[in-house]
Amino acid sequence: MPFYLRNALIALLITVAIIATVLYAVNFLNEQRVAELRAIEDQLATDTLSIETQYALLAEAPCEGLEGSNAFTTELGGLGDRLAFAEERLGATDPEVLRLKERYTLLQIRDYLLTKRLARTCDLEPVVALYFYSNVPGQCEDCDRAGYALSYLRQTYPDLRVYSFDYNLDLAALKTLIAVEKVNAELPAFVIQGTRAYGFTTLEDLEDSFPEGLLVPASSTATSTSDE
Amino acid sequence: MDLTVLAYPFLFAAIYFEAFLLVTFLSQPAKDARDRAISKKTPMVAMIVPCFNEEKTVGGTVESLLALEYPKEKLQIILVNDGSTDATGKVMDSFAHYAQVTVIHQENGGKHVALNAGIDAAKDAEIVGCLDADSFVHTDALREMISCFDDPEVGATTAAMSVHKPKNILERMQNAEYIMGIALRHILAAVNGIYVTPGPFSLYRRDIIEKIGGFRHGHNTEDMEMALRMQQAGYKIDSAPKARVETATPRSVPSLVKQRTRWTTGFLRNMLYEYRGLVGNPRYGALGLIVLPLGFFAIIGGILMFGIVIYQLVKEGVNTFLIASGVPLDYTVSTIVPKLNAIEWFYFPLTLFTLLAVVAVVGSILFVLVGRKISHTPANLGVGILGYMFVYGLIAPLWLVRSVADVATSTRRSWR
Repeated sequence: MPFYLRNALIALLITVAIIATVLYAVNFLNEQRVAELRAIEDQLATDTLSIETQYALLAEAPCEGLEGSNAFTTELGGLGDRLAFAEERLGATDPEVLRLKERYTLLQIRDYLLTKRLARTCDLEPVVALYFYSNVPGQCEDCDRAGYALSYLRQTYPDLRVYSFDYNLDLAALKTLIAVEKVNAELPAFVIQGTRAYGFTTLEDLEDSFPEGLLVPASSTATSTSDE
Repeated sequence: MDLTVLAYPFLFAAIYFEAFLLVTFLSQPAKDARDRAISKKTPMVAMIVPCFNEEKTVGGTVESLLALEYPKEKLQIILVNDGSTDATGKVMDSFAHYAQVTVIHQENGGKHVALNAGIDAAKDAEIVGCLDADSFVHTDALREMISCFDDPEVGATTAAMSVHKPKNILERMQNAEYIMGIALRHILAAVNGIYVTPGPFSLYRRDIIEKIGGFRHGHNTEDMEMALRMQQAGYKIDSAPKARVETATPRSVPSLVKQRTRWTTGFLRNMLYEYRGLVGNPRYGALGLIVLPLGFFAIIGGILMFGIVIYQLVKEGVNTFLIASGVPLDYTVSTIVPKLNAIEWFYFPLTLFTLLAVVAVVGSILFVLVGRKISHTPANLGVGILGYMFVYGLIAPLWLVRSVADVATSTRRSWR
């Protein structure tokens, strides 16, 4: 065999080995990402249970000692961001992503129910928005814009709790929520303080969907706190 | 649509070529070439300096030739003034009193005509060399190169080029590239895969040039055309990695684009017209099966990769604009900045594409360092390597696209 051909074959083997190693590394990193998501979810599941247990223990005075509920929602938001990244990286049809997404959806529904329960019992008035979207191409042209506008609102108004749901996720609890809230498949769809709204035009229109005076900017909260 | 998938064949080719270079570099023939002792033979050599309007540098070029460590009676220096319109002729004449020096003045006919005039004047020479009038040889360079001709099958040999006193970023980038070229030519010589004998400093056996014919226009790349003709005729082209020569390079982007357009169109035209039979031909070994096909692939890949990057940037930009329109800009900035600052590994873009690109870049850096080591070129390469790896990719498509367009439309451009 000519000298150059021998080198060419060895080089081919090396190239294949390098690419296999890189593929393995990428796969390993993605697995680590999924593992981290799983760990966060486990923690959140424990937190949910903890809050529910606190609630049960403090049956006499359920509105005291429930600190951490907001932190929980923030944590849930962080998990959502990571999940969206993992979904983009691994694909929306990846079985592991789908499984994590289902668990995340369940956690969101539980948090939503808990928030409603606390609001009823403790005379609170949380600002809640349910947001239904779709990743199916062509089904929801405005979902990216709507999701981005909601992220902005969530940061601008810290009291606002946004729960995002993939309308097409095959999960019984989600289907029940959709049925209970009577949400049609006109996406994007919102349920804001119990009122349904469909479609997205502008950020201003979305803000106007909230009852007047309910959304309090972060700076106003800080001012009122310092005034006290 | 994610176009990055189109880049994978080119990344594969780049890594494969680097692996091939590495294996060949570590093989015995390349080691032997690195360890080759300086030959004691001193054949008659004629160094030809073809020159058109190089009044500022030609004096230094001739002085470097006069300083070569080689028996004076065995070294003829032939200065060919190719119809210069500046003071080049006068500068050349100022060296005419040296017994070794012959000065020829002629009508402007192009570099190949000037070289042939020099060869005609070097009747006694066994070896003829070409040195561009903006290049400066080191004193031991000729003896290093003469050693390559101990092998009777070697028809030509190339030197170790680097940039003469690189100052600006563009020159430093080219210096890194030239030094990598030293490694590449050294390695490819081991498999007889060299397809250009660069003008700054190359030597040829005179009898072989007579046999295959003198220099031709070669689509403005007479050095490439001569090397390809030698390969076609079955001769070897060697490289002397310790034979150092410094050369002046373009100092501005437009002049670099012009030079590289000339090189690239020269490659494409030589390959597509006169030397098409070499490409993919197993008779020409590594040159035919690996080097030349990958040369084509690199041109297409350079254009395509640039196109993909531009497409992705525009797509992302438009997408972000559409999604974020109507939302205050400071929010969009606040979402981007934390991402840029994020040390969180979770969001780090370690994809197959980025990791393979990193492997290819690391491979290139390795060969720059190899080039510096084997040639003993004292160069501070930090800025040059960074520029070469990350800035070149942005300007190279300018000459690649221009070259392909020129060849497709049969556009001919002047040398300067």
